Amino acid sequence: MSTVMVVTPIIIANWPVISAAVAGAVGSMGFTLAEAAAGVDVRVSSKNATRTEIELDDSEILSAGTELGEEMTVVRDGVTARFKRDARGSLTLCMEGEGYTKAELHQIGEELMGRVTQQYVYHRVMTEMKNKNMTIVSEEVDTDQTVHIRVKNW
Amino acid sequence: MANEELEIQISKDGKVTIRTIGIKGARCLDAAEMLALIVGKEEQRELTSEYYEQDQSQSQHLGIHQKYQ
Repeated sequence: MSTVMVVTPIIIANWPVISAAVAGAVGSMGFTLAEAAAGVDVRVSSKNATRTEIELDDSEILSAGTELGEEMTVVRDGVTARFKRDARGSLTLCMEGEGYTKAELHQIGEELMGRVTQQYVYHRVMTEMKNKNMTIVSEEVDTDQTVHIRVKNW
Repeated sequence: MANEELEIQISKDGKVTIRTIGIKGARCLDAAEMLALIVGKEEQRELTSEYYEQDQSQSQHLGIHQKYQ
């Protein structure tokens, strides 16, 4: 072993890449895409629902020049999580749920945002490794959801 | 060369830890830095024994050189 480096991810991507990361990540936390969740009308907000918002500072969602479609909603047990590109171009998550405290919703939201970031980073790393003709020696996922990848040949 | 590897760990919040295995000297930094650039911004770096093995020999060489200047 000769170097250990810790890196904080920065997300710079267009909306299709982000939505693919959201779709790939949320399932591991039991969330379902709103379109796929039968009988759930995410357009209706309850008056009693608690709301909170999380913004991912280290993110820049490249705009396609249209506001259409730059939003994605997932649901689980009365919690609605809406990923969107905010006015400044950052990835933002709006959490809403009935019977939850703001702190609980915030915690769920932080975890969701983490999984989406993990998914994005995973694809970024794997794509670059393949572009550089590096060989993936092994790939494992821990019980704590940490992904381990070993590569060689550069 | 055959045993040179990069171990990449992506935690559930997306934080990445890159560890070089079997790469001696400053060359190990090239491999890790390349990956760090792809992912985001470097927060922390630790150089362990294999890096310093070569670094020490370079320091010794410099020391002798400076002695005769």
